[in-house]
Amino acid sequence: MSTLLQQVKVSDTSSEFHNQNVDILIDNHTIIQIAPQLDNEADQVIEAGGMTIMPGWVDVMADFSEPGYEHKETIHSGLAAAVNGGFRQVFVVPNTQPVIHNKSMVEFIVNKGRSAAAKVHPLGAVSKGTEGKELAEMLDMYYAGAIAFSDGWKPVQNAQLLLKALEYVKSFDGIIIQVPVNQSLAAGGLMHEGPNSVKWGMPGIPSIAESLQVYRDLELLRYTGSRLHFSGISTAASLELIKAAKNEGLDVSCSVTPHHLLYTDAILETYDSNYKVEPPLRSESDRQALIAAVLDGTIDCIATHHRSHEWDAKTREFEYTAYGMNTIETAYAMIREAIPGISDETLCSLMSGNARKIFRLEAATIAKDGRDFTIIDPAGKWTFNNNSKKSLGINSPLLQHELEGRIINI
Amino acid sequence: MSLSVKHLLGIKDLKKEDIELILHTAANFKDVLQRPIKKVPTLRDTTIVNLFYENSTRTRISFELAEKRLSADTINFAASSSSVSKGETLIDTVNNVLSMKVDMVVMRHSATGAPHFLSRHIPASIINAGDGINEHPTQALLDAYSIKERLGGLEGRKVALIGDIMHSRVALSNIYLLTKMGAEVEVCGPPTLIPKHIEHLGVRVSYDLKKTLQWCDVANVLRIQLERQHKPLFSSLREYNLYYGVSRQLVDSLDKEIVIMHPGPINRGVELNSDVADSGHSIILDQVENGVAVRMAVLYLLAGKKDELVV
Repeated sequence: MSTLLQQVKVSDTSSEFHNQNVDILIDNHTIIQIAPQLDNEADQVIEAGGMTIMPGWVDVMADFSEPGYEHKETIHSGLAAAVNGGFRQVFVVPNTQPVIHNKSMVEFIVNKGRSAAAKVHPLGAVSKGTEGKELAEMLDMYYAGAIAFSDGWKPVQNAQLLLKALEYVKSFDGIIIQVPVNQSLAAGGLMHEGPNSVKWGMPGIPSIAESLQVYRDLELLRYTGSRLHFSGISTAASLELIKAAKNEGLDVSCSVTPHHLLYTDAILETYDSNYKVEPPLRSESDRQALIAAVLDGTIDCIATHHRSHEWDAKTREFEYTAYGMNTIETAYAMIREAIPGISDETLCSLMSGNARKIFRLEAATIAKDGRDFTIIDPAGKWTFNNNSKKSLGINSPLLQHELEGRIINI
Repeated sequence: MSLSVKHLLGIKDLKKEDIELILHTAANFKDVLQRPIKKVPTLRDTTIVNLFYENSTRTRISFELAEKRLSADTINFAASSSSVSKGETLIDTVNNVLSMKVDMVVMRHSATGAPHFLSRHIPASIINAGDGINEHPTQALLDAYSIKERLGGLEGRKVALIGDIMHSRVALSNIYLLTKMGAEVEVCGPPTLIPKHIEHLGVRVSYDLKKTLQWCDVANVLRIQLERQHKPLFSSLREYNLYYGVSRQLVDSLDKEIVIMHPGPINRGVELNSDVADSGHSIILDQVENGVAVRMAVLYLLAGKKDELVV
C-alpha cells in the first residue's frame, strides 16, 4: 500500500531536504519519491504538517527475553513493539537462557529478527554465562554480528576481567557497555537511598553505587585506551565524571533511559512495582541533571532498558517483583513529557545520529530508497492499551493512559 | 468518631486525631480487661485471619487474645506450615482465605509494603503487624499508650530510640507517632545502624548512649535484629553490649528518673542487661499488657461497629 505524506518536515543534516517541508511517497516501508511537492496518486494521503521524518531511531539497550523467557517477550514481539515506538535498530542484552555468549547464540538472535521491520543487534556477553569470571568468545561473536559487548543486567564487577575485556576488544575496535553498578554497595537495596527510602522503610541503593563504578571503569578505560559506553546513567555525580572524561579525550559515551528522565524516587510511595527498575529512579536533582545532560550532549543516546514482564512477575510483594519497565513503545511520549521543548535536532542526535557513530551503524539518510526512518507527530495523541500495544508484557505505568507524542508507522 | 483510614498500614498515614482516638478507645478496653469477665461481644460476627509470614510470638498472641476478647472468630496462619511453602503467592493465599468470608486480615511480612500491596487487591481491612523494615504501627501505639500511662502525656516528652534503628520497623513507627504527638525524639546507636538521611524525619541523632540517656525521659531500647543483618554493621555482640548496651551501672550513674522500654523479644546481655530489664525503671511488661488493649481498640475501630457501645 502506498502512502503520500504531504508537507512533512525533514530533520536530517545529511539530507538535501534538511529542515524543509516536503512530500514523500512511501511504499513497502521504502521512500519511493521525495520532493518539495508531489502529485502522485497514492492509496493513502496523510496531511503531515507538524510531523517530522528523521533517520531511524536506535535503542542501545533492551531486553527481548528470547531465548529462555518467551512468556515475557520474544524477538518477534519485541521488534514489533520497537517499531511501534519508532525504533528501527535495537541492541538486546545477552541475559537470556542460555546466555548470548558464543557465535551460535549471536546467529540465533540475528536469524530470529531477520524478517522484521526493525533490526535486532545482539550484545554479546563479556564473560561466559555473564558470570563475571572468564572472557566469552568476543572475537568470534563480533564476526558473527554482535554489535558490542556487555554482561547486561549483571555488569562486570571484577576489575581485572573488565580490564582484559577492554583490551581484548581493541583488536576489532570493539566497545564494552556497562550498566554501572557496584553490587557490593547496591546489595539488598530496592530504591534510591535518600529521605524517601528512610520515610517508606525501604532498603536504599546509594548514588555512589553507580558513581564509584563509573569512576573505576573510567580509570580502566584510561589505562587500556579502549572504548566504553555506560548504559542507563541515573545520577548527577556520574554525569560529572563522564563529562570530565570526555573533555580529557577518553573514548567514552553514555545513554539514559526514558524513565530516568521522567520519574523520580518520589513515585515509589505506594510501592508500585511498575517503578521498580535498576538502576533505581533517583532524586529530582538527579533527574534535572540528566535532562540538562541530554540538552548539552553529555548524554549521547537513549537506552530504553525495555524489560517486559508478565502479570505474575510484577503482582507480588515489591521486594519479590522483577526489575524493569516496559518502555520501548512509550519512549517518545515519555521523553516529550520529560523535555517538552526538545528540538528535532536534539532528538535526531539522541535517538539516532550519536548511536550510529558510536556503534558504527550505517548512516540513514532521508532520501529516495531510504528504509531506515522514523516519523513523529509531536502533538499526536494516542492511548497505550492492549489494542495499540505490541509487547507481550503488562509492566508499564502508562497502560490505559492517553499519551502525547505519536509515532507514525507506514 | 471513626478513623480516617480503612486499613492500619502504618502510623505514617494516620492523623493526630486517629492516634488520639485509638489511645482513648484502648483505655476503655484496658478497663474491660481488669474485669472478672474480660470478654465483650463487640466483634461476635466478625472473622479475622492472622497471617504471619514471619515468626512472631508476642505480637501474634497479643492479636489473637485481643480478637478473642472481642468475641471475633479467628484463624491462624503461619507461612512455614502452609501452602506458601508449596509456592503459593500472597494474593492467592489471601483470596483463598477471603473466599471463606473473612472480614479482616492481620498480617506480618518480611517484605516492606506487603500489606500496602495487599490492600490494593482485596476488599478486607488490613492491619499491619509489621512489614519488613518499614512499620509496626500497633507496637508504636502500645508504646505511646504505655508512655502516656506512666508519664501522663506525650507532648514535650523526650523519647530516645536506642540500638538498631536501620532494621527496626518499631523505630520508624515510633518516630512517626511521637513526632505527630509533639514528643521530641532522638535516635542513638552505632552510626552503621542509623540510616543516612534519618534527620529528614525530624529526629535528633546521637552516637553516645550516656548523653542520650541523660537527655531523655524515656529510653525505648530496640532489639538487635540479628536475623536481618546481611552486611557488616558492628564487630561483635560483646563490643555492642559494652558501648551500646543499657546496664544497671549506666542507669544508676544518671541519677534521675528514666523509663526503660523494649518491644521484645529481648536479647538479654546484648542491648539490655537483665538488671535493668527487670528493674523498677522498666515498663516492659506493661507494654505487653497494654498491647492487648491497643489491638482491641484498633480491631474495634477498623471493624466500624459504631452502633455498639464499647463499655
